[in-house]
Amino acid sequence: MNRTEYMAALRRALSVLPEEERASALRYYEEYFDDAGPENEAKVIADLGAPDKVAAQILADYQEVASVPQPDGTVPNSKPRRRGINPWLLLVLVLLAIPVGIPLVGVLIGVIATLFGVLLSVVLVVLAFVVIVPLCLLAAGVILCGISFVLWGMPASAVMTLGCGLALFALGILVSLLMIKLCTLFVPPLFRAFVAVLRWPIDKIRGRTRKNGGESK
Amino acid sequence: MSYPIASSLLDGIVLAVVERESTYGYRITQDVQEVLEISESTLYPVLRRLQKDGCLTTYDEAYAGRNRRYYKITEHGRAQLRQHRIDWQNYRNGIDAIFFGGDSQ
Repeated sequence: MNRTEYMAALRRALSVLPEEERASALRYYEEYFDDAGPENEAKVIADLGAPDKVAAQILADYQEVASVPQPDGTVPNSKPRRRGINPWLLLVLVLLAIPVGIPLVGVLIGVIATLFGVLLSVVLVVLAFVVIVPLCLLAAGVILCGISFVLWGMPASAVMTLGCGLALFALGILVSLLMIKLCTLFVPPLFRAFVAVLRWPIDKIRGRTRKNGGESK
Repeated sequence: MSYPIASSLLDGIVLAVVERESTYGYRITQDVQEVLEISESTLYPVLRRLQKDGCLTTYDEAYAGRNRRYYKITEHGRAQLRQHRIDWQNYRNGIDAIFFGGDSQ
């Protein structure tokens, strides 16, 4: 292998790097050959080792550097760019994935809809229990009190009905207070958990784009 | 016998070499190789990283009909180097104390 072949192999091995990074590395090694002098060409090639190994070192370090945000202004002329998968390759992959992807998406949507339905019915049942039980008690109390006024002809029955009505009304108030207390205790954490579950995938996506933004320097 | 060289130590060594005078890749490699067994391909990633961290800057100077890229230490690089020197001193004192015992500082 001569110098030209060596550099061509290095260029190929570095092809995943952004253009600027690759150019910088290639320039460094071109100069390295120049400074070593043509008489040392073979020695430099032997000393450097396989182009793949040289490239692997550069790539490993580049990944480390890229994941750390740099202080501003240290790298002039750097443009935002995405790293990793070649966009064309990504396009082909997406096209190939469509036949598998569409049914999968359908299943996913079905599962999500089912989960949502179950969750909704649970919420409705709980809500019904929380609202209807105290309301019924209050209503029963009021109705019994009303009936007692009709029954003034039989004072004993009337007083007993009124007593039962008042007792039920009081129980209704107590249960209402209990339900309100339970709601204030349990609803906010449950709601927060629900929101957290909904936000999780969104945050995941946002976090990734933010990281990509950081890597662009 | 030789000890593996931690990447932070290598950073310090390269900063120290460039601090003496602004110089170019091949020379830096030669200078470091005089005292350490490192492969020829070790230093490019280090130089690139130091450059990105703002410890080194580069400039081009004509030499023998071509441009040669020189590395120059920045203020930030000097500060880092001062810290490397302190860290190294502490490290060496610790090892010396174990190797040679007592107060060999």
